[in-house]
Amino acid sequence: MYGGELIRNIGIHLMYVFASVFFGFILGMTLGILLSRAPKYSKIVLPILSVFNTIPGIVFIGILFLYLGMVPMTVIIALSIYAMFPILKNTYVGITNVEQQYVEAARGCGMNRRQILFKVELPLSMPTIIGGLRMATIYTVSWTVLAAMIGLGGLGEFIYQGINLNQNALILLGAIPAAILAIVLGFLIDVLQRKVTPRGIQKEVRAK
Amino acid sequence: MIQFENVTKRYGESTVLDQISFKIDPGQFAVLIGPSGCGKTTTLKTINRLIEPDGGRVLIDGDDTGVINRVQLRRRIGYVIQQIGLFPNMTVAQNITVVPKLLKYDKERCDKIVHDMLEMVDMPYEQYAQKYPSEMSGGQQQRIGVLRALAASPPIVLMDEPFGALDPMTRSTLQDEIMRLQKKLKKTIVFVTHDMEEALNLADVIIFMEDGHITQMAPPEEMLKNPANETVKNFLGKHIAAADPSTLTAADFMKTNVVTVGIHKGIRACTAQMMRSNVDSLIVTDENDRYIGTLSVEDIQPHGKEDATISELLRTDRETFHTTDDAKRCFDMLISTKANYVIVLNDDGTVAGIITKTSIAKAIAERLWG
Repeated sequence: MYGGELIRNIGIHLMYVFASVFFGFILGMTLGILLSRAPKYSKIVLPILSVFNTIPGIVFIGILFLYLGMVPMTVIIALSIYAMFPILKNTYVGITNVEQQYVEAARGCGMNRRQILFKVELPLSMPTIIGGLRMATIYTVSWTVLAAMIGLGGLGEFIYQGINLNQNALILLGAIPAAILAIVLGFLIDVLQRKVTPRGIQKEVRAK
Repeated sequence: MIQFENVTKRYGESTVLDQISFKIDPGQFAVLIGPSGCGKTTTLKTINRLIEPDGGRVLIDGDDTGVINRVQLRRRIGYVIQQIGLFPNMTVAQNITVVPKLLKYDKERCDKIVHDMLEMVDMPYEQYAQKYPSEMSGGQQQRIGVLRALAASPPIVLMDEPFGALDPMTRSTLQDEIMRLQKKLKKTIVFVTHDMEEALNLADVIIFMEDGHITQMAPPEEMLKNPANETVKNFLGKHIAAADPSTLTAADFMKTNVVTVGIHKGIRACTAQMMRSNVDSLIVTDENDRYIGTLSVEDIQPHGKEDATISELLRTDRETFHTTDDAKRCFDMLISTKANYVIVLNDDGTVAGIITKTSIAKAIAERLWG
C-alpha cells in the first residue's frame, strides 16, 4: 500500500544524495587542491574543519532551517558541506602523499605547476580521492534521512512516521531501502574507482 | 657551454655553494663528486634552476639562465634522478614523450621518437612501449628514465646519481650504455656521483667539491697523478695505487684480521685457539704485542698434550716485511718459498697483517678486471 510512496521517496532521497555529493565533491576537491598548494595554511584550516565535522548534522540542518526555511536547498546545503569533508581530506592527503620523486621529475621535465597537478599529482591521488567520494556518498545516504525531520521527504519520512506511530514495519520500510541504496552506490563507486585509477598503479592500489 | 660565475647558495646560516666558478665545454662528460654535503647536487640543480642561486650567474651558451623562463629552460635540459621517477600512471611511450608533448610536438613525431629511443637501448618497441614502469626492473626503468631525458634532443643532460640505486651489474651495463650514447649523440653531460670508480670510468673531466668549494677540476688521469689534497687522494684511494703498480706496498694487500697469541700461552690454549679460529698456524707476540715468531699445527703435534708453554716450539726464522715494503718483494717471497703466508710488521714491531697467496690472486684480478 506504500508502493507508490516508497518509489517517490527513494527518488527524493537519491536526488538529495546526488545533489549533495555533487556539490560536496566539487567543493571538497577544489578546497583540497588549494590547501595542498599551501601546506602552511592547511595546518590551521584542517583542524578547524574537523571540529565542524563533529557538529551533529541534525543541529546544522536545524540552524539552516531557521534561516532558509523548509526548502530542499536547506537539506542540500547542509549535506553538501558534510559530504565535502571526507573528499576534501582525501584530496589533500592524496596529493600531499604523492611521492616527491614524481614531482621532482615533473619539474625537471619542465612541467609548470598546473601541468604537474593535472598530469601527475591528481592522477596519482585519484584512488584516494575516490575513496573519499565513496565515504561521502555512503554517509550522505544515511544523513539524508534527516531531511524528513523538517518535512522534506526522502526515506526518512517512513522512519519518522514509524517512530511516531510506533510501527516497526514502517521504520524498516525506510531503513532497509536506505541501507540497500548505500550498498549499491558504494558498489558503483568501486567500479568507478577501477575506471579512474591509472592502469599503471592499479596493482599497487590493490596491494594496499 | 655551461658556465658558473661566482655562484653562491645559502640555506639560513650555512653556505652550500661558495662563489663557485667553472666552465664545462660542449660535448664534455663532466662528473661532480665529493663527500656528502659538499654541494654537488646543489650545483647540478642550479643548472636547470630547480634550485635558485643567491648570488652569481649560470650561463648556458652565453645566456644567463636567470632571465630565461625556468619552465622553458628545463624543457631544453634533460634531467635524470636517482629515484628514477618515471610516472607510474603513464606507459613507457608516454613517459618518453613527456617533454616532446610539453613542447607540442605532433603525434607522428612523438611516435618516431619513441621508436628511435627504444631502438637506441635495444628495447623492442612492441615489447616495451605499452608497459608500465611497475612492470619493469629497476635497470630497465632507469634506461627509460635516461630516454625520457634525451627524448626532446636537449644539448645538455643532467644526471643526479642516476645509477646509485641499481645493483653493481646493472650499474656497469648502464654506465657503458651512457658512454656509448654520449659518444654517439655528443651531449654535454653533467653527472653527480659519490662513487669514484664511476667518475673515473665516465668522466672527461672530474669536478671535485668540498664544503661548497671546488677543490680540483681535472681529467681523471690528471687527478690520479696529482690529487690536489688529502680528501681527493682519499677519494681516489685504491685507484691511485692501481694506476701505478710500482707504488704498491705490503700494506695495500695484507689481511689485517690475523690470529695472534701471547708467548706465555700453553700448548692446549693454542690448539684450542687454532680450532676456534679455524687456522693452522698462529702468530706469537710478546707482552707488548711485538712479533716474536710463528707456531704451526705441525710444530705442536709431537707435543700434543704436554703441559708446557709454546716458547720452545715456535719458529723465529721467518723473514718479515714492513708495511711500507714493496708489495712485489712480498709476492716474490711467497712464490719462491713454500710459505703459506708472509708477515707484515708495523714500525714498532707489532703485527700489521699477513699476505697470503689469495692476496696475490686478488691483486692480479683487480689489475686485470678492475
